[in-house]
Amino acid sequence: MKLLKPSWVNHNGKPIFSVDIHPDGTKFATGGQGEDSGKVVIWNMAPVLREEDEKNENIPKLLCQMDNHLACVNCVRWSNNGLYLASGGDDKLVMVWKRAAFIGPSTVFGSSSKLANVEQWRCVMILRNHTGDVMDVAWSPHDVWLASCSVDNTIAIWNARKFPEIVMTLKGHTGLVKGLTWDPVGKYIASQADDHSLKVWRTMDWQLETNITKPFSECGGTTHVLRLSWSPDGQYLVSAHAMNNSGPTAQIIERDGWKTNMDFVGHRKAVTVVKFNPKIFKKKQKNGSTPKPSCPYCCCAVGSKDRSLSVWLTSLKRPLVVIHDLFDKSIMDITWTLNGLGLLVCSMDGTVAFLDFSQDELGDPLNEEEKNAIHQNIYGKSLAITMGSQLSSTIIENPEMLKYQQEQQRNQNPNGAQASGPENQTPKLTNVLNGESLEDIRKNLLKKQVETRTADGRRRITPLCIAQLDTGDFSPALFNSVPILPGSSASTQLIPQISSDSSTANSLGLRPSHDPTSTSPNKTAEDNKDSGTAAVNSIGMKSNLLLTSASKIEPMKALDSRFTERSKATLHDNRVKDSSSVKEPKGKDETSSDSEDKIVVKSMTKRKGEMEGAEVVEKRKKGRPRKDAKIMPISQPFPQVTFLLSTDASLLKLPTPSIQKSFSTQVSTDGVTYLEVENEVSVVSGSRLSQLKWSREGREWDTLLPSRIIIATGSSDVVAVACEDRTLSVFTACGRRLIPSIMLPAPMSALHCSGHFVMALTASATLSVWDVQKQTALVKNESLNPILSGTDATVSQSFLTRQGVAVVSLSNGKTYCFNSSLETWNLIADKQDSLVQCADFRNCVSSQDALGSMGPLALTQGRNLSAGRLASRLSSMPHHLQQGMTLAFLEKQLASALILLSASEYRHWLLIYARFLVNEGYELRLRELCQDLLGPVHKSSSSSWETTVLGLRKRDLLTEVLPVIGQNLRFQRLFTEYQDQLELLRLK
Amino acid sequence: MAKVQVLNVAVLDNPSPFGNPFQFEVTFECMEDLPEDLEWKIIYVGSAESEEYDQTLDSVLVGPVPAGRHMFVFQADAPNTGLIPESDAVGVTVVLITCTYRGQEFIRIGYYVNNEYMDTELRENPPLKPDYGQLQRNILASNPRVTRFHINWEGCAEKMEDSENVDPAPNAMLPPSCTPGKAPPLGLVPDNSMDCL
Repeated sequence: MKLLKPSWVNHNGKPIFSVDIHPDGTKFATGGQGEDSGKVVIWNMAPVLREEDEKNENIPKLLCQMDNHLACVNCVRWSNNGLYLASGGDDKLVMVWKRAAFIGPSTVFGSSSKLANVEQWRCVMILRNHTGDVMDVAWSPHDVWLASCSVDNTIAIWNARKFPEIVMTLKGHTGLVKGLTWDPVGKYIASQADDHSLKVWRTMDWQLETNITKPFSECGGTTHVLRLSWSPDGQYLVSAHAMNNSGPTAQIIERDGWKTNMDFVGHRKAVTVVKFNPKIFKKKQKNGSTPKPSCPYCCCAVGSKDRSLSVWLTSLKRPLVVIHDLFDKSIMDITWTLNGLGLLVCSMDGTVAFLDFSQDELGDPLNEEEKNAIHQNIYGKSLAITMGSQLSSTIIENPEMLKYQQEQQRNQNPNGAQASGPENQTPKLTNVLNGESLEDIRKNLLKKQVETRTADGRRRITPLCIAQLDTGDFSPALFNSVPILPGSSASTQLIPQISSDSSTANSLGLRPSHDPTSTSPNKTAEDNKDSGTAAVNSIGMKSNLLLTSASKIEPMKALDSRFTERSKATLHDNRVKDSSSVKEPKGKDETSSDSEDKIVVKSMTKRKGEMEGAEVVEKRKKGRPRKDAKIMPISQPFPQVTFLLSTDASLLKLPTPSIQKSFSTQVSTDGVTYLEVENEVSVVSGSRLSQLKWSREGREWDTLLPSRIIIATGSSDVVAVACEDRTLSVFTACGRRLIPSIMLPAPMSALHCSGHFVMALTASATLSVWDVQKQTALVKNESLNPILSGTDATVSQSFLTRQGVAVVSLSNGKTYCFNSSLETWNLIADKQDSLVQCADFRNCVSSQDALGSMGPLALTQGRNLSAGRLASRLSSMPHHLQQGMTLAFLEKQLASALILLSASEYRHWLLIYARFLVNEGYELRLRELCQDLLGPVHKSSSSSWETTVLGLRKRDLLTEVLPVIGQNLRFQRLFTEYQDQLELLRLK
Repeated sequence: MAKVQVLNVAVLDNPSPFGNPFQFEVTFECMEDLPEDLEWKIIYVGSAESEEYDQTLDSVLVGPVPAGRHMFVFQADAPNTGLIPESDAVGVTVVLITCTYRGQEFIRIGYYVNNEYMDTELRENPPLKPDYGQLQRNILASNPRVTRFHINWEGCAEKMEDSENVDPAPNAMLPPSCTPGKAPPLGLVPDNSMDCL
């Protein structure tokens, strides 16, 4: 066991009454007395757990402090879901806090950066009911209710789904109620009061189940709190202050018959707090010893007014450890980390202590399944099952979420639509502003605000209400906002000067806190009577305080001088310094050498291609006899010639179409444009001319080419023609030649046009794609070698997408596209792919989706998808395997759509992917997806985040994805998180 | 706990010619409905040497204030140049925004103000008698000094009494009534010591 007293956790010496570790273990809250009010502080857990984090200045220790309570805070408790913090205090109030949705630290107006709240926690609800100090608060399992008890002798049960609704006020105690605990199974709530009684109430009807008085009859009302606790297996309830033979004890009450036969004895003064470890343990199996079935046991920490702490295991008769003199005053609260190995204790003396146990000491914690099995055994139902099946009892935390849930219900059950009426829907927050953006309001605020004169002639302004209270997080855009009216260069000039000054001042001021005595060493306290650690630490803390207060005197002088001339003089000096540090422009050497290299490479490849192609052309010079021309059918698009490819990978050859006397093709998708080719129409001065004729809806043009035409094709924008002499000619849709004939390295095998793009596959198995409008090459003589080598396959189909991506399908069922930025061939479809065969995402496809699936990806994959689904039905694969395959398949589809630049298909698969993730509960992936779509909320030059993907705005996509997420209540926090951020960005 | 928290003050029309009215856009949050109005004041410190040159530029009542977040623009005329000592017209001074509830001041926001001639010629050889028409007022909006005071929100308690009640805001700008040497009890070194500039 290690013991640590982090001296930096303090309320400036004021008492700390309560401590609670956040369920995720990353932070903890303390509550107590502030300077002149109650105080709640949220601390970072990491510096407590790790020494290096404690020393690291960049890791904040204090995350947020709230002094909204008017008087001392007696209790702080995190909700089980970690979303809320409840605090109760002497001001008779219970406050519920929620972390404000915006990201990153922000400073309190006017405060120095060092004291900035790293996290923003805002009071979202003030619960008023008690007429006396609130002593304890407790969230029920699953956060259905929040209970609070008070010195007004009552216990209030709040509906945590509908604050501030009170479900029930439990009356019956005749003294100050000082502690509360929920039965982990959710059947009871127990309370302990100064009236010498402990009462157990049923949650079913909120009636008294039992009233236990005997162990408390001798107790005097001397403790500040009576925090009792229920064991995680639900079997035992342990009280705070009880008496047995005039000795203080913690009474153990068995659930079975509420018997009071056992107690924890040993403390010399009243027990103030009992806290069970959330884990159930079993004995650690040691190597060598025979594993014997051991009973699971619980672990319990007991704190007392005698300033000592004891930790008990229910399997041991004696305490595991007792630590005396840990504090100077009574222990007030105890909290365990969720893993059960850490323990934080706070004291009236204003300090906290952290105990770190090892598994050897406590045992092996049972995992959730084993814990559920125990619950199942004892109560016939497991808590996990309860949670899963009774999701309806989960709190819907967000009005938007509620809306989606309701919509979903309505869709599922159109007849019952009346039941979930619109009156349930919470009005949107922005209604306060009547749809106006905050920016608009700010621009006209001076003109718009109502100003009147009072009877005595004074100006009276009616402020504009921009947000109602308790609506939670309003626009953070407001914080530290800059005026909209034209800013000034002069004011910005002043900023760096002041901020540099403040940083030095801060570092000076903080130095004393690095005093060696203040860094609390992790000391083992195996000897229980050793109180040395505590003593050393308290000294360290005191010296710390002294130093900080001493360092304060200097600034007072500065303020008192009321701005002397000196300050003005230095102001100018600094400006000069700033301007001298202007960045120097970058050198240009790099870029120029780079482009030279490229040119060299290009010319070399060209030469090589020319040499290869020359031979092939010679063979084809003869052509067909002229006679055939009249018999030939006119339309014969894309003659498929099967040509055996050389198996030698280095000499790949693609088939070239044979030359026909005449042919015609239909181009462009509107389907009324024809291209007619007639070769050798006439002979002029020895050369044979060929004619190309274009016609669309009666309009036509023709042009003549000096060589016979092999392939002619076109799009709505351009027409491309490949000739026998290895030239490629490109015309506009009106017949004007766009570029002089392109000389190809080899005869044309296939030619495609789409939009302004022209794609050429040559017989030497190279691919080129040009943008003829911009006159640039997207792909330059790229060899098909990588996809063809080692296979017997040949190119069975090729096409060009509207975005200029070349797609090549092979006879072996694989389809590739060439990505010009990666300069790679990417496999986008494979008929033999087992993922395709087994992926099953039918329930993720909605009926409207069918339209979105049209595009190049669908074209290449064809009907394989449905075939795959059939196959999946036949195979008897384990669910998790199929789940994984489907996930992999969907991600592949998404990536393929992306590389094909097919926006509609990308959206289509994105939505299916999101639905699948939501259905199958892949939270991490879902979060990553959302994060990418949302992007950084704060603009920064360093971020490489693109706002769009394939021309679709990412945040619009997120808006589409969110309702999908909203359909699963499990993800409501994720939903809320991103919904809020989107909303914020919209307001910005 | 203060019922009213000032969330932000944006300085509008800054920098501006000396004669332009001051404009502050104040955003504040109120925990619960206030039965009485808030009173806001803008005070211009005419001379760093003495309080007697402090000018209250204007005071307004703001209300009614229900629970929630509110904003308003507080505009006040430029200071009366006749009341400013000639030697202090050019240079750094202070403008204060204060808010009181039931006669008790609970927040004081101070800004440094730099008055400077726009013209380089004038800047180097300032005239003996300040030429207010040529002066530019620049409020250091990025660095407000906020001091918060605990007051009795429920009733009209006597005015804030002792230094015990001074909030330990690290960069407190003391009210003029505070005698020097009374350090707030705790906090870090403020980052506003103009001496160190």
